[in-house]
Amino acid sequence: MQRAGTSIRLNHVSKSFSIGRKTVAAVDAVDLTIEAGEFVSFIGPSGCGKSTILRMVAALEAPTAGQVTIGDLPPSEMAQHHRLGVAFQDHALLPWLTVRKNVELPFRIASRPVNDQQIDQLLNLVGLSEFDRARPKQLSGGMRQRASIARALILQPDVLLLDEPFGALDQVTRRHLNIELQNIWARNAITTILITHSVDEALFLSDRVVVLSGRPGRVVKVLPVPFGRPRSPSVMRDPLFHQLADDLTESLEGYVGSEEP
Amino acid sequence: MASASRSASVAYGFLGVALFIGGWQLIGAYQLAGLTWPPFTTVISYLIEPSRWGLFSRALEATLWAMGFGYAVGGACGFTIAVAASMFDRLRPMLDTTSAVVHAIPAIAIAPLFIILLGTSTAPSALSALNVFFIMYVSTSAGLAAATPAHRDVFRVLGASKTQQLYRLQLPNALPSIITGLRLAAPASVIGAIIGEWFGAPRGLGLLIVSAMQNFQIPLLWSTIVLATAISAIAYGLFGLIERLIHARFQ
Repeated sequence: MQRAGTSIRLNHVSKSFSIGRKTVAAVDAVDLTIEAGEFVSFIGPSGCGKSTILRMVAALEAPTAGQVTIGDLPPSEMAQHHRLGVAFQDHALLPWLTVRKNVELPFRIASRPVNDQQIDQLLNLVGLSEFDRARPKQLSGGMRQRASIARALILQPDVLLLDEPFGALDQVTRRHLNIELQNIWARNAITTILITHSVDEALFLSDRVVVLSGRPGRVVKVLPVPFGRPRSPSVMRDPLFHQLADDLTESLEGYVGSEEP
Repeated sequence: MASASRSASVAYGFLGVALFIGGWQLIGAYQLAGLTWPPFTTVISYLIEPSRWGLFSRALEATLWAMGFGYAVGGACGFTIAVAASMFDRLRPMLDTTSAVVHAIPAIAIAPLFIILLGTSTAPSALSALNVFFIMYVSTSAGLAAATPAHRDVFRVLGASKTQQLYRLQLPNALPSIITGLRLAAPASVIGAIIGEWFGAPRGLGLLIVSAMQNFQIPLLWSTIVLATAISAIAYGLFGLIERLIHARFQ
């Protein structure tokens, strides 16, 4: 399989927010290197700073201490060079544009000529070819997320950042989109960070799963996923898959009670 | 279902207008409010009498010009300054405060000042512009600020410049709010123009109202008010239509 993209280095990264007069630590001393072309998921109890980690890699937040580098560059420079792709739980499609125009947006922002052929291919890949003229509000939740992921991928970014992109979908659609994302990703392995609540989703998609503790988020476990690629959905029926899912759930449960009031 | 409730609301709208006119007619016909309240039919026949068309059309033309000019200048200023405030964060508090202070000045109070400063023929446009300015400033500012955090985040991660964010995200997103502002500003521009004319403009509906009042020409007074209300309502309705088209696409 082709490995693409750029490595991401989290060097002793901490982040705290001040809320009123109080300072709340969200992420504490996270040290991690994500290899080029690696798919890494972060799971953890809610409020553990998972999204904060992604937002620091996306240059949306600056770390309070430590450093994030992508390749050799700080994230803000990667963003300026249009080398990051992102999809959130909120699809954040522009409601006044068609699906096709939404997927074109990164070309326009990067001031590059729109590559129609590439857009056709990608829309086909995410199963939206017939809906390219539809507006977001005419689509189902799952289709909107597909469009949002197509937008994230269209410039063939060095890094793909996914913040619970399927978090608001029903279980069946979610599973479906996990399988599709796996197929899309397998074609051109882009360095990817996925933030998720779902242990199954993390295991099925990732090369490594990082478990974070409750607030402040610390790395408590890094689990390499032993399944080869490309993965078929049957992986999810493997006894080892269930074993690993149980292990991960258990390591998560240790922190459920520790959430601050 | 939607079209049924829509036609019902149109029907109720017409019913309201019909009741209003009916009440007006009754009060006038039975002189319930004295001699200064003519029946609706008297006012309309006064208004459509061809010998008075010259008088009314000259006044209407002057007011429409003042209003149109004020609307264009005030609207453009309000829009431009709101865009500037959104582009340059440091300017924002200053521009917000200045606009609020400008808005706090009662049009009636500043009208004499404008007449001294700008002359009687420019004062109506200036007052109209002042009224429109604030409405457009507020509606544009609110629209530009309404882009969701998720949209802003996507634009930032994709490496959009501030200008790109403005014309690819904030402006299209602000369009419904701007159109609503344009609709609300239409009657405000009529009011501004008429108040400006009130203080001695050479012609216009405002002048007609004042002179009709001073000379006790009751039907003329009422006719002029009907005319002023009509242009206000037509401008408002026209923008209401545009607004509906825009909202359907942009929200």
